[in-house]
Amino acid sequence: MPNTKNYNKVQVLIVGAGPAGLAAAIHLKAEKPETEVCVIEKAADLGNHNLSGAVLEAEPLHTLLDSAVPGWRESEAAREVLASRIDKDDIMFFTKNRAINIFPMIKLAGIFRLGFGQMIHIADYSVQVSKLAKWLGRIAEDMEVEVLTGFAAEDIILDESTNMATGVKLVDQGRDKEGNKQPNFVEGEIINADFVVLAEGCDGLLTEKFIEKAGLKRDASQLYSVGVKELIKVSSEQYDKFTSGRVVHAMGFPLWTPVIGPGMFGGGIVYAGVKDHLSVGMIVGADWKYYDFNPQDALTNFKNHKFVKQFIDGGTVVEAGAKMIPEGGYYAIPREAETGSIGKGNCMILGDSAGFVNMLKIKGLHNAIDSGIQAAKAITETLNSPETAAVKYTELIERSNVIKEMKSSKNFRQTIAKFGPLLGMPLSVFGGLLPKFKIEKDYEAMTTARYRLKGNQEFDKDTFTAVVATEHREDQPSHLKILNGNICVQKCIPEFNGPCITFCPGGVYETINGKLKPANPSNCVHCKSCQRKCPFDNIRWTAPEGGGGPRYKRM
Amino acid sequence: MSNYIVLVKQVPDVTQITDNAFDPESGTLIRSRLASVINELDSQALAFANRMRQIGSNKTGKIIALTMGPPMAEEVLRYSLSRCADTAVLLTDAKLGGADTVATANPLAFAVRKIVKEILNEDSDYYVVCGMQSVDGDTAQVPPQIAEELGLACIAYATEAELRNERFEFTRIISGGSQVVAARKLPAVITVAKYEYPLFATFAATRRANRMEIVRWGGDDIKATHIGVKGSKTRVIRVFPPGKSVRKCREVDNAKSLAKMLVSSFKSGNGDISRNGNGQASYYILPDKRAEKFDRSFEGTKKENEDFKILAGTLKKLGISEISQIDDTAEEKILAAVDKRFHKKALKDMINGLQLTEPSYKGQVWVVAEHSNGRVHPATFELIGKARELADSLETKVGVCLAGHGLEPMAKELIAAGADNIYIIEDKLLSVFDPTAYRKVVADCISTYWPQIVLFAATAQGRMLAPMVSYRLGCGLTADCTSLDIRDSSRKGQMGILMQTRPALGGNVMATICTKNSKSQMATARPGVMKRLPADDLRTGRIIRHKVRLSNDDISLEIIKTELGGGDVNFDTEIIVSGGKGMQSRDNYERLVGSLCDCLGRKLGAQVERGASRAAVEQGFVERMHQVGQTGTAVRPKLYVALGISGAIQHMIGVANTETIVAVNSDPNAPIFKQCDYYIIGNVEDTVPQLVQALEAE
Repeated sequence: MPNTKNYNKVQVLIVGAGPAGLAAAIHLKAEKPETEVCVIEKAADLGNHNLSGAVLEAEPLHTLLDSAVPGWRESEAAREVLASRIDKDDIMFFTKNRAINIFPMIKLAGIFRLGFGQMIHIADYSVQVSKLAKWLGRIAEDMEVEVLTGFAAEDIILDESTNMATGVKLVDQGRDKEGNKQPNFVEGEIINADFVVLAEGCDGLLTEKFIEKAGLKRDASQLYSVGVKELIKVSSEQYDKFTSGRVVHAMGFPLWTPVIGPGMFGGGIVYAGVKDHLSVGMIVGADWKYYDFNPQDALTNFKNHKFVKQFIDGGTVVEAGAKMIPEGGYYAIPREAETGSIGKGNCMILGDSAGFVNMLKIKGLHNAIDSGIQAAKAITETLNSPETAAVKYTELIERSNVIKEMKSSKNFRQTIAKFGPLLGMPLSVFGGLLPKFKIEKDYEAMTTARYRLKGNQEFDKDTFTAVVATEHREDQPSHLKILNGNICVQKCIPEFNGPCITFCPGGVYETINGKLKPANPSNCVHCKSCQRKCPFDNIRWTAPEGGGGPRYKRM
Repeated sequence: MSNYIVLVKQVPDVTQITDNAFDPESGTLIRSRLASVINELDSQALAFANRMRQIGSNKTGKIIALTMGPPMAEEVLRYSLSRCADTAVLLTDAKLGGADTVATANPLAFAVRKIVKEILNEDSDYYVVCGMQSVDGDTAQVPPQIAEELGLACIAYATEAELRNERFEFTRIISGGSQVVAARKLPAVITVAKYEYPLFATFAATRRANRMEIVRWGGDDIKATHIGVKGSKTRVIRVFPPGKSVRKCREVDNAKSLAKMLVSSFKSGNGDISRNGNGQASYYILPDKRAEKFDRSFEGTKKENEDFKILAGTLKKLGISEISQIDDTAEEKILAAVDKRFHKKALKDMINGLQLTEPSYKGQVWVVAEHSNGRVHPATFELIGKARELADSLETKVGVCLAGHGLEPMAKELIAAGADNIYIIEDKLLSVFDPTAYRKVVADCISTYWPQIVLFAATAQGRMLAPMVSYRLGCGLTADCTSLDIRDSSRKGQMGILMQTRPALGGNVMATICTKNSKSQMATARPGVMKRLPADDLRTGRIIRHKVRLSNDDISLEIIKTELGGGDVNFDTEIIVSGGKGMQSRDNYERLVGSLCDCLGRKLGAQVERGASRAAVEQGFVERMHQVGQTGTAVRPKLYVALGISGAIQHMIGVANTETIVAVNSDPNAPIFKQCDYYIIGNVEDTVPQLVQALEAE
């Protein structure tokens, strides 16, 4: 079989097999089946690096599949992934000992078209996004999209003269700890592409490099939240008592207690998952100021709150994970200065990488999928002029529901960051009327204050990483880099006691012989909190060899 | 120009077992709920073949990946193609399903023949390269059986290949050391025990691989002689979850008491915590010696025992005392009386079973002895202890097959250990172990006397010899048994047969297996599982000399160099002493782990290996090959001593099958204290020297 094909060249390269990237691939194949579409994903298998709550607003997914997969609703996979439709939506306010249902107030807000009103989830799907991604991946494969898992990219390559993205560079494989080449060393290949679609999820490695290299700008710096979540197997009685199809969002304790503190943005979630399983999570704005705080401690407090405890007591944690959520909203969308395009030339930025999370709805999955559809449309319209794709994409997405929503929740999160939850929440009612604030970056918020509800038991990170099932080839260079070790020893440890040691959900960081090191890089769950929360901005997350990282299946 | 046929197998990913992989009712593992991956050692075999091609004199040799399995096994072929394979062959056919190792090795060997004929154009310059064993079957039988079928030399447990003087020399692991060997004739089968540099897929090769045609053959294409369930020589009777061991978690407050506990738990085992039900008494009475004629309380499964009990009670109630009294009307009456508990067909089988009074197999119970440097391997004595128990209940003799050179002095010791007859095959050519020569003489001796049971030690040597011998004799073989019992399977017409119980799927399930369509029942058992009898020097026995003609042509391997006690890690030892982060430094690790290893080895007369936690390896206290745990090696010694190890779950998974775990740690909250048998709270620097001192005084 004579084979002269250049396998390192593809027409459309999509980085990241999450909902955004796969939606783009599927829609593109549906529109133009002859297009060569290739998706690369750093996880070992589809869905392994996808984690969310997750509440999914149905509309964009329906649109995507209706046009691409006839009869999809009847498929077994659809029934499994979309088994749970939300019919009970509780929004609560927790005090230390009480749980108050504030859903009626939210509903009222909805009636008066106040921003808050968007927080209602009834008729949405409650999904496990790792399953969703796996399913979408299979659909894409059936449509002859090349979905290649286990390939991590470390850089995006720009043509010096045209400033167009020519492709990406994959991670070298087969180096030892010190970086020496082993006998099985393979240099990271360069993949060239006509179109590059960045759909890496929150704080994308290539996305951020591209933003810098191509000179994209954000009006306000991106703000993040850190989410930790556990899937807990409970008894049938507990599950029935909670009721399937129910989601609970809880504000207040243990993140925010008016007046005496702590004062953090975020809240806890309890979602009914598949039979006898509840997802319990804690999402915390990464601008927390307590040096000894760890979102997992808040999760422990939340799980011990009597409202939650009744449903999970005696249960077993069967899976767990952590991730970041981009919460900066409309002003944090990266754009090209001249054209305002979200991306540049032939390179587009999608989903969480662009920051399409609507903080009023506290949802972003639907926007991720929608942005994938718009990117696919843009590509089909610019097949002969790839350099105009990003502008086209932006034009389409501006008209779509995505940007409409982003505008309506414009600076909700910034308001809270600026004024704190106590004042910020009510102020945010004014929504888009408020001016754009200058907000400090998350890492700058760290202080020497202590988290009042810390408790005396350390969260068991070993068990956590074991259920995350995270794994990397041990004998490779650490993919977590401390830029200047002296800062850790001379500034950070004396002042803050090395917060990364505490907040890293995988327990990657340790002090060994007085030096702070990413001692256990193989425990990394790829949440990237460290590079956004190190108080001295002294940590960088780089891509490890493909196939490493968590193995989410039902997150 | 050498070519390489690499055998790859798709296996369930036992490292990623989730809670929903177990059936909540029976507690057994549901294989379909596990992700499928390439068997790790096969991925190493692929890299090994690639290395051979790279260093070989001709770099254009072909690498052909071959697998047998369901259609989805194609995935491991794509894996191979995206790394280094040029061609891939999938052997898939419903007829091939349900195969044991014989019915796996046989069609694979026939496929190799077909590959040589059709893809390699009869070029006989090739190597068959495969992983030493698969994680699901864990038997290490298929490669030697393929070698036997094809009449090739087999070099097992290879770790490295070098080209010297235009030929390949292989470094391989042997008990207690390593050896450099070369095949005297080609082709040859190579099994890879460890090759650290599995290949990475590249983006381009993966895309290419996804477009390549895979050669697909069915059962009819290869004309194999033993396939599927029919061609198998063993049958699985039942699968059950392993007994959950409960750790004692007892705190000991001084080194002296800990030393005592160490010695006693090593010598007498760990009480109730017997691993997976080994060592249970194999009490059995031959059918015609039972007090009650219709007594069938020695069936292999609980259900059968209950059914027969009900049947016997019913017969008594109906006044039936002879089988001949049972006619059609009586049958109806029985069926009515048991309230349709059995089907008519089942009842007929049971009645036929009741008529049987003779055991299905005749002959002695044999042990094939292993020895080196004039000393019998301890496992041989343990097997004789078990053979004695089996032979006594079957009312037959214990024979030991002893092949080698200079054997006479060993016979007395074997008789004292419980043997009746020693079959000696003496030949100068047998002075060192050569698999081909040994399998020839041992098989010849067995087929002269046809014992009903033959036991081998599941050592590196035994796991090589047993599959070749059993395949040569057309007998079934069960590997790595942890329990051996004589039982009946009356309904299947088998009385007094050997029920062989072994762990499978990385110890996640247990399976009881029996032999079928074989003249003799063969099994290997792990060292340290069976109990040696106290030596009785007054015992007498016979020595029977067996002569087999051997020539230089029967020797398959040229042994170039043997190194004992080398740098290789052998976790197949009875004791492992591991150090963790609490060791603080490489010097401490060396000194503390080293001194305790020496001391335990001397005092208990056991082989001891050094282990480490990931943290210790990470900090450079010791080389990575010593790492124990989920990402290192899973071990199952009798005694595991954890020094300064916190007990992270990833580490504990790797030692779950250990009989006794002892921990020393300075942190009173260390999780390991909840997962061990004995522990002492204290720092290792103080405690270990005290422990060594106390052990010396024991």
